[in-house]
Amino acid sequence: MFTLVIGGSASGKSEFAEQLTQSLDGPRLYIATMEPFGEEAQARIARHRTARRERGFETIENYVNLSSLEIPEGANALLEDLGNLAANELFRPDGDIRTVVPGIEHLLALCRHLTVVTNEVFSGGKDYEGETLRYLRELAQINRALAAKADRVVEVVCGLPNLLKGEAL
Amino acid sequence: MIFVTGPLFAGKEEYICGALGWSPEEFRKQAVRDVQELPLTGDLEELADSLCRCAVVVATEVGGGVVPVDPEERERRERAGRLSCLLARRAETVIRVQCGLPQLLKGKLPGPGPELPQEGEGL
Repeated sequence: MFTLVIGGSASGKSEFAEQLTQSLDGPRLYIATMEPFGEEAQARIARHRTARRERGFETIENYVNLSSLEIPEGANALLEDLGNLAANELFRPDGDIRTVVPGIEHLLALCRHLTVVTNEVFSGGKDYEGETLRYLRELAQINRALAAKADRVVEVVCGLPNLLKGEAL
Repeated sequence: MIFVTGPLFAGKEEYICGALGWSPEEFRKQAVRDVQELPLTGDLEELADSLCRCAVVVATEVGGGVVPVDPEERERRERAGRLSCLLARRAETVIRVQCGLPQLLKGKLPGPGPELPQEGEGL
C-alpha cells in the first residue's frame, strides 16, 4: 500500500502522515531526508523528532540515492520529504535526480505500507531563476509519477485531508 | 466558528457573505479576514482562541509557493500555516474557496439547504 501526502509549508502534512503511519500495526520506520544545515534546520528536526518519539518510530537518515538504503522488510515506513530529497539529488555533487523514483520503488518492494510526504511549492508563480525552475519541474515530475503509482493521494489543507485519489482513511 | 481559507483573490469573503446572507457591514462586524497578516510572533494557540470569538475567520493560504530564502519571511509563512491548522482544529466548519467555489473540509456547508420536514409533520 502506497500513500502520497502533499501540502504546502506548515499545512499539517507531517502530522497527518505520521498519524496515518501510526494507525498501522507493525514496526514503524521514519526515513528523514533533510540535512541539518544551520540552527533553523536543527530546530525543525528537533521539533519533528520530539513529535515522533512517542509514536514509536525508528529514524533512518538518507540524503541521496534511496536505492541503496537497507531497511527491514515489512515495515510501515514514512519518508519525509521529497522536496528535500529532490534538492539533495539535484544540488549535491553525489546526487542524481534520476534515482528518486527508482529509489521509492525500491522502498515499495520492501515496505508493508509506504507513506511519502511531498511539497506543494508550485503556487507561487513562474518567476524563478534557472536552477529553481529546474528544481520545480523535476519535483513536479516526481510527484506526478508517484501519484500515478500511489494507491492513495491526499492533499493536506490546514491539517485536514482532501482526498485526490483512492479511498478515504 | 467557520474558518474559510483559500488562495489570494479566490472569492473567500464574497462566498461566505453569499452563503450566510451577509452584507459587507455584517461581515465587518462578525468576521475577521487576512489573519495571516496579523502579528504572529506571540502565542499562536492564544491568538487562535481569541480569533474563535468571531463567527467567521478568513485566512489566505500563503504556504504553496517556493520556500523563501529569507529566514524571517520563511518563519512568518510557517507561523501563518500553523495558525491556520490551529483555527481549523477549533472551527466547527472549514471551507476552502477556490475560484469562488467552496470545498468542504470539515463540518457542513452553511446557507439555505433543502427544507427538512419538521417534527410532527406527516409526509
